[in-house]
Amino acid sequence: MMGWIQQHPMTIVGLVMWAVGILWLMPGKKASKPRPHTIGVLIVALGLVTFCLSCGNAQSELADEVMFWVFAIGALMSGVLMITARNPVYAALWFALATLSTCGLFLLQHAPFLAAATIIIYAGAVIVTFLFVIMLAQQSGAAGYDQRSNQSLLATISAFVLLGAISLTLQSEKIDIIRSSLDVADSSGASGAAMGNTGAAMSADLPSADVVPVLPGNIMSKADAKHPVGNLKGLGKSLFGDYLFAVELAGTLLLVASIGAIAIAPRREQGAI
Amino acid sequence: MTPEEQRFLLVGAGLFVLGAIGFMTRRNLILMVLSAELMLHGVSLTLVTFGRMHQTNEGQAFTIFTLTVAACEAGLALSLVLSLYRKSHSLDIQLWSELRESDMSAPDFDTSGERGKLSSYEDIPTLTPAGIVPKDPPRTTASTGQTATRA
Repeated sequence: MMGWIQQHPMTIVGLVMWAVGILWLMPGKKASKPRPHTIGVLIVALGLVTFCLSCGNAQSELADEVMFWVFAIGALMSGVLMITARNPVYAALWFALATLSTCGLFLLQHAPFLAAATIIIYAGAVIVTFLFVIMLAQQSGAAGYDQRSNQSLLATISAFVLLGAISLTLQSEKIDIIRSSLDVADSSGASGAAMGNTGAAMSADLPSADVVPVLPGNIMSKADAKHPVGNLKGLGKSLFGDYLFAVELAGTLLLVASIGAIAIAPRREQGAI
Repeated sequence: MTPEEQRFLLVGAGLFVLGAIGFMTRRNLILMVLSAELMLHGVSLTLVTFGRMHQTNEGQAFTIFTLTVAACEAGLALSLVLSLYRKSHSLDIQLWSELRESDMSAPDFDTSGERGKLSSYEDIPTLTPAGIVPKDPPRTTASTGQTATRA
């Protein structure tokens, strides 16, 4: 733990600045005049840049690098501004921006179909529904509960302890060991399935005894040279091959949820909203 | 794990944590639902990155299911929010803190300066008595889109 703190000072500094900025922007427990907005945004931005810089240099192409920075900072900054907004309409709009940035990150991760689907579902349906509900439940003037927050100090500290723990886990060397064992299991599983003796191939190729063997995943979902990850044909094969019953179940879930929403939502005749 | 994958995972974790902060601190019902959606974004990003790490499409297939569940959740949550708003005429989560267990202490809310606490139990939902099928309520002009019943 102490060694990790000494090895990653930038991560710590970034996390602390990020948390301080959120506390600065967050409406307080007592109703008060908002603190200067620009200072909080600057603190959060500095913390975000420090945190992302500490994640390491990927040494990818310049265009990819620039796009990652724009989308990552955009998503996290919009998230911060969303949870600290004092007006729910602005919060919904910041959420739309966070969604768009996340879709950009999906594109960088070779998931073009997911990016399109997320934009259509969130920006097209969810945000519009949220805005309709905000308009239906409009308060006259600024509502008191939007100017206050509940236990923001405790919540921010505990959440950032969680984020620090995740960073610690991701940057430790144990992850690399698991990853290398996965690679071995994947390659030997593929070749073993072709030859028909999976067990012998896996045990022969494992580098050491303490590496956990991992079973190969579903066959139809594997990406190969012809259908790389995110290829629409490969994704369709995975969805309608390996996960056909789950797709049917998801359709049933949508039907049940729509019936439930109609049943729960108040009728118009009984009272004006 | 390459630094490329690591930083995508860290951004996903950051989105999740931001959503968690929003869910815990904000008192507006709609903002709490939005924060939960932000947490789902973080999870989706992590799933996609894991799928790419393992060279498989399973991560993206899972994310599509996550999207489905998120859409269902948004629809149900918003109809619940509307239903609660109709009962208390406010989006404050505090008004529903009386639903807690009777031996739990009251949550630490600051109510100074707010308008008086609304009695949220005026029209508490009741079950339809069994027996004769109730008649349909008389149709008012509200069906034509006019809100003539508004006081």
